[in-house]
Amino acid sequence: MAEIDCGARSTREINAELKQWIQRGETDIVVRHPGARHNLAVAILSPARVRLEGSAGYFCAGLIDGPTIEISGSAGWGLAESMMNGRVVVEGNAGNGAAAAIRGGTVVIHGDAAARLGASMKGGLVIVGGNCGYMAGFMAQKGTLIVCGDAGEAFADSMYATTCFVGGRIADLGTDAVLAEPTAEDIAFVDDALAAWLPPAIRGKRPPAREFRKVVAGRKLWNFDHREWKLWQEAL
Amino acid sequence: MCGIVGYLDRTNNEHAPVGCVILGMLDALGCRGPDSAGVAVFGPSSPERFAVRVKLGDHGDFAGRAEQVFGVAQSCGAAGALSTTGPYLRLEIDTAADPRKLAGAIENLHPEIEVVSIGCKLEIVKQVGSPRHLDESYGVSKFQGTHGLGHTRLSTESRVDLSHSQPFWAHGRPDLAIVHNGHITNYHQLRRRYEQHGVRFYTENDSEVIAIYLAGQLSKGAGLACAFQAMLRELDGSFSCLAATAEEFGFVKDPFAFKPLVFAETDRFVALATEEIALRSALPGDYVVREAQVKEWRVWQR
Repeated sequence: MAEIDCGARSTREINAELKQWIQRGETDIVVRHPGARHNLAVAILSPARVRLEGSAGYFCAGLIDGPTIEISGSAGWGLAESMMNGRVVVEGNAGNGAAAAIRGGTVVIHGDAAARLGASMKGGLVIVGGNCGYMAGFMAQKGTLIVCGDAGEAFADSMYATTCFVGGRIADLGTDAVLAEPTAEDIAFVDDALAAWLPPAIRGKRPPAREFRKVVAGRKLWNFDHREWKLWQEAL
Repeated sequence: MCGIVGYLDRTNNEHAPVGCVILGMLDALGCRGPDSAGVAVFGPSSPERFAVRVKLGDHGDFAGRAEQVFGVAQSCGAAGALSTTGPYLRLEIDTAADPRKLAGAIENLHPEIEVVSIGCKLEIVKQVGSPRHLDESYGVSKFQGTHGLGHTRLSTESRVDLSHSQPFWAHGRPDLAIVHNGHITNYHQLRRRYEQHGVRFYTENDSEVIAIYLAGQLSKGAGLACAFQAMLRELDGSFSCLAATAEEFGFVKDPFAFKPLVFAETDRFVALATEEIALRSALPGDYVVREAQVKEWRVWQR
């Protein structure tokens, strides 16, 4: 296992050292004292495991393809933005726009997520152990969004084809977001995902998979229809 | 951009190193806006006197103006403890003086003169330039007290000078200060309404209206909590806003989460900042940080 101590070093130096270790074949790297710096562990394209002992700032684990990034503290805005594949696990809370525009992989937040979680996601799996804020799943296109706690206002607004599951209360559904009946496969999928990704201490406080509500796109915004002008006026 | 920070000591210590903590946090956010920086520190309470801080002007004869200001202050009440640093004057005056009349009398001396803060506890210092220079100019790291606010500015809509810097004092109301990151989009409408009622605006900075708005709410007898809820109804745009009085300290966040704001709450302190890096740089230890949600507001009592 390799260790990187951030100390007073610049983000560029830390990221360069991370990549050097990975190039040398190291598969397990611990980053100490990240101090909520921005842009840590970005654009890593190999399946190494990187553990940040502390909090990350903005855009942590962005543009990655393959690695596992663990953050023992919290993460700032734009966590795992546009990731292609890999796993990102935050043991604390996440800021706005977590997992925005991801194309694949898995993002897990043990605590709460702030606004615009999974906005415009185009694939992958997002799991939040706590609550999520305003406008989660906005214009999301593919993949699955699971929120174990409560969801904020305008949930799943203007969505294309992401499937959402919420264990707690939904403050209100966004434009064209509708509730759907979960199938037996859905329930099994949520159950497996929570078992695989959330620690028992968090999972134990949340409702069982069969009680999660399923939210999908009503598909009314997929094609313009002048008879539904009112709906279009309300859509952003 | 802009960076805002707030810190409340919860150890019942009137001499907590608030200036040092606020500066440490601001320093970590300096890259968010190097145009100007300022702090508002609520010091140990002194019920018998107001601390008055005055901007003497942008240029000119500061020594002469300082003498005039002190003369006017003496005519309003028992004044003393006069000191000046560059364009900044500080004096103390008996709380029997009416703060609104005192500020008016001082500001009548010269169009560039502005009272920056009045309060039994509140002391605001601000200037053009990055947070780093605040300590050199005013020794902010030695400021002690119970809580405080800080701001580092990236100007987007109004000029860069001392008056347009934050924190803003709610002119006329002792011990109320705000810092704001964002834009108030119904600023002109609100400003017109206030000006029709005779309220004077000192700057073209939209954040100024928040201080005036909160002062109005508090003068109706509301606490900060009620004032924040009213603000969510009446102010449009993006705002992560922190406000503090001698007794209360809190934040309010707009309905769209356009601007960042994180906070940490422990037995020892409450800390608020635009980015977590500010908290981690200035406050060691193990604590949980959370991003404020839309329309969220919190108020802590000192």
